[in-house]
Amino acid sequence: MAKKPLRRLGAIVAAGALLVTAGCSGGTDDTGDGAATAAGAGDVTTVWVTAGTDDVLQASIDRWNADHAEGQIELQVFENDPYKSKLRTAVSAGEGPSVFSGWGGGGLKTYVDAGEVASLQDAYDAEPALRDRIFPSVLKGGTVDGTIYGTPYNGVQPVVIYYNKDVFEQAGVEVPTTWDETMAAVEELNAQGIAPFSVGGASRWPYLMWIAYLTDRIGGPEVFDAVVAGEPDAWKDPAIIQANTMIQELVEADGFVDGYSSIDANQGAAEALVYSGKAAMELMGAWAYSGTFLSGAPEFLEQGKLGWTTFPTVAGGTGDPANVTGNLSSYFQVSAGASDAAKANATDWLMHGVFDDTYIAELVDTGAVPPISGVEDAIAASSAPEWNAFIYETAEAAGNFQLSWDQALDAAQAEALLTNLEQVFLLQITPQEFSENMDAAAQG
Amino acid sequence: MTAHSERGAGPVRRSGPSVLLTLPALVFFATFAIVPLGAAVWLSFTEWSGLGDPTWVGLDNWRALLTTHDTGHALWLTVQLMVLTWAVQTPVSILLGVFLAGRQRYREILAVVYFVPLLLSSAAIAIAFRNLLDPNFGLFAGPGLAWLNQNWLGDPDRVFVTVAFIIAWQFIPFHTLLYQGGARQVPQSLYEAAAIDGAGRVRQFLAITLPQLRYTIVTSSTLMLVGALTYFDLIYILTQGGPGNATRILPLDMYLTGFTGNQMGLASAIAVVLVVLGMVLSLTISTASGFSRMESQLDGE
Amino acid sequence: MTTTAPTRTAPVKMIRSQPARAPHGARPNVAGGILSGLWFVIVAIPLYWIVITSVRTQQGFFGDHPLVPPSNPTLDNYRLVLENDFWRYLLNSAVVTVSAVLIIVVVGYLCAYTIVRAPGPRTRRVFNVLLLGLAIPLQATIIPIYLMIVKAGLYDNLLAIILPSVTFALPITVLILVNFLRDIPGPLFEAMRIDGASEWQTMLRLAVPLSRPAIVTVAIYDGLNVWNGFLFPLILTQSPETRVLPLALTSYQGMFTINVPAVIAAVVLSSLPILALYVFGRRQLLAGMTAGFGK
Repeated sequence: MAKKPLRRLGAIVAAGALLVTAGCSGGTDDTGDGAATAAGAGDVTTVWVTAGTDDVLQASIDRWNADHAEGQIELQVFENDPYKSKLRTAVSAGEGPSVFSGWGGGGLKTYVDAGEVASLQDAYDAEPALRDRIFPSVLKGGTVDGTIYGTPYNGVQPVVIYYNKDVFEQAGVEVPTTWDETMAAVEELNAQGIAPFSVGGASRWPYLMWIAYLTDRIGGPEVFDAVVAGEPDAWKDPAIIQANTMIQELVEADGFVDGYSSIDANQGAAEALVYSGKAAMELMGAWAYSGTFLSGAPEFLEQGKLGWTTFPTVAGGTGDPANVTGNLSSYFQVSAGASDAAKANATDWLMHGVFDDTYIAELVDTGAVPPISGVEDAIAASSAPEWNAFIYETAEAAGNFQLSWDQALDAAQAEALLTNLEQVFLLQITPQEFSENMDAAAQG
Repeated sequence: MTAHSERGAGPVRRSGPSVLLTLPALVFFATFAIVPLGAAVWLSFTEWSGLGDPTWVGLDNWRALLTTHDTGHALWLTVQLMVLTWAVQTPVSILLGVFLAGRQRYREILAVVYFVPLLLSSAAIAIAFRNLLDPNFGLFAGPGLAWLNQNWLGDPDRVFVTVAFIIAWQFIPFHTLLYQGGARQVPQSLYEAAAIDGAGRVRQFLAITLPQLRYTIVTSSTLMLVGALTYFDLIYILTQGGPGNATRILPLDMYLTGFTGNQMGLASAIAVVLVVLGMVLSLTISTASGFSRMESQLDGE
Repeated sequence: MTTTAPTRTAPVKMIRSQPARAPHGARPNVAGGILSGLWFVIVAIPLYWIVITSVRTQQGFFGDHPLVPPSNPTLDNYRLVLENDFWRYLLNSAVVTVSAVLIIVVVGYLCAYTIVRAPGPRTRRVFNVLLLGLAIPLQATIIPIYLMIVKAGLYDNLLAIILPSVTFALPITVLILVNFLRDIPGPLFEAMRIDGASEWQTMLRLAVPLSRPAIVTVAIYDGLNVWNGFLFPLILTQSPETRVLPLALTSYQGMFTINVPAVIAAVVLSSLPILALYVFGRRQLLAGMTAGFGK
């Protein structure tokens, strides 16, 4: 029932389009040159990634292409925010790449369920040395129903607290390590006219870091695991309600910079507030170090004014304070729709061209830390050894590395989560209402 | 193609060009407007994530639309935006249009500036205002302007008015232009007669200008109200429907549900609501305004 | 440029009227004057901010007063935009706009001409169907159009923008052209017919030249809409090769991040072609924008 009308629709449209283009004007024929990039690529293995690791990947691909005349690889780089829908539309249109980047978790699962991703289990079984070096928590993020589909390729990106050392020094305030200290510091900083936390609220996803950390600290990873598993009333867990209550207490205590809800995280304005001294701290993923701080204010980093620390502990919470949340890594998936030759070449490259020694060294140099054990030497030799060591140790020590909530959930629930959480931050709904709304969204 | 046309019929009843010449337009219209409308109705009964093919789910989406999905809110916002933008734009446009109908040189120079927003794309306007209203680095962040620095886009209670303002900024020039054209057609003799009778400025405006502009008012209002269903580009870039769902009007709700939430079926149901709303609105206005614009144009002058 | 003869540049009849000096007698229009002064400020300040911000350095943007012109203006922001594929996006926008307008004018004209010159129930029905399109919000059709474009293999192709854009411009185009064509006196057509001209000859030699102002109007109005269109490019294209200017603005914002002056420079550059048109043909452009709604 479902398929036939669609086919017919397609045929009608194709016929209509043909008629129209043939009948009206020859002047449009020269406009179709853009489409050739992905579809007509023939033997070339196409790889789609979001910006960030592209230099390292390009170098790896250049080395690969030099050695593999038969298996040329071509890299295409996209901006972060529109990437997800672009990829979905392209894959759906049959114009997807041979290899594409994703964040694992629920997003990966929808592609696997739709039969769009080829298994990497056999390839990994043939390379036990690589498999055993990757952090288990990270490899888990690329695994769906016990089968490996995604292979990590860039740094682990835990969410940490960045702070401006000068601001704390001048204010005479200690960097908080517990929630109580945080609330005290908020009061102290506000009294001195400094905004305690910067947050890119207009983009909504930075809010997720707060609820993810607080929920984990209060109730441990089991709370959100139940949500992902779709258990009834999982969103109504007391830990989630308490986490949102604490968030609202922080908001009411003026914990966030004025106008936080209109700051665009993708524009780097949230980081600019920290390095320009208008705000003291920011909770943000590890990517902000090289992504915005280093590019936006290199002298600020050179002078050692940027500090970093882990999320504060919460008294009475049952979660391990060593747990972190964030992006485990980005993962490559091999498209099920690619030609066999492209699939074989892609898999070969993923197993041998990604995470070889040169790749790791170059990756570390960009301020990213690969989720691979035994790379301490490369980190010590990198351009930002302290930062890299901090991230590496934080990630390695984490008993639970919680994937960002929006990536862990399916898209419809993630969208509802972002909207409702924003309303929590804006004090428009209560924590109880949040849980009820999310519960309804999860059932729907 | 015209070989079969009959020649020599009377001047009124002649066959003229072949009806087939309307075919290209009809093909376009059928392919990209009628078929999509039908397809939207069909899709509204399916579940489709954008991957794979749609599957039939019956009334599920429509049920969700009426229960779990917050359609009422989006609909209410859309209506509010419609009324607010109309109430702001109409008086301003009329007054400006009448003022600019005068041909004094300084007014012409003013007009050159007035109409610039008309030329900018919604994307350009949205991006400019987004940065201009940034509470930390924008226009009002400068010293002495703090009273204007109000987190215009981040405060859910304020963002709606802000968006309405930016819409007005973008579209008032267009409607001003309409009213300028309308005001210039008002016969000068009417004013002269009124002036002899001793009618003041306000009286003249109320008794002559406004009644004479009634068709322009209907046209402009129709465009504004139906146009309010399509404010997508601007709000998409400015707020993405946020903060929270404070600016999530129907078209945006449809986009976010479909292309971000991957619920194309539910989004199609919203689209159908949107179309029905557009049709009902157009019909209501043309009926309520006492004459059918389309009809009057069909019959010529 | 405001002194061009009105007779030459007013293409559509309802825009023109008798010139009047002080139309309402001697007393000044106080309310209008105050309002127009206020509106001038409201329009001019953002435009002014856009222009001066686009020539600021990034440091200046953080430090200077936002309303004071920069002491050291720079064109680096513009250079940055131009170096980042601006020309390609401009070309894409131009290709899309020109092809769409060509198709719209040809298809729309044939349709309008037939409706006027072959009156009858069938053409009347055609006209009514097209007018229905005025009430369809184009957003509502985007999901099926997306699906159709994908199935037709046109996804991420400039044709994917052109074809739906043409469709949604047709109703208003046909409406404007029909209104104009109706006003061409019947005896002129009659004379052509008596001279033995075919219907094609009549159209090309008589109707087209006489309706040139309306065609220009339609081309301007539709061209501007297509040029500024955002939704179709957003959903139906993805790669930089097919990116048009409005969409490029959002990608520049992602690329330049906190370098706001560069983002604003992109805003200015993307608007320049239309602004140039405005400077050189202001009356024509403005007349074109409202011509369809004059009644």
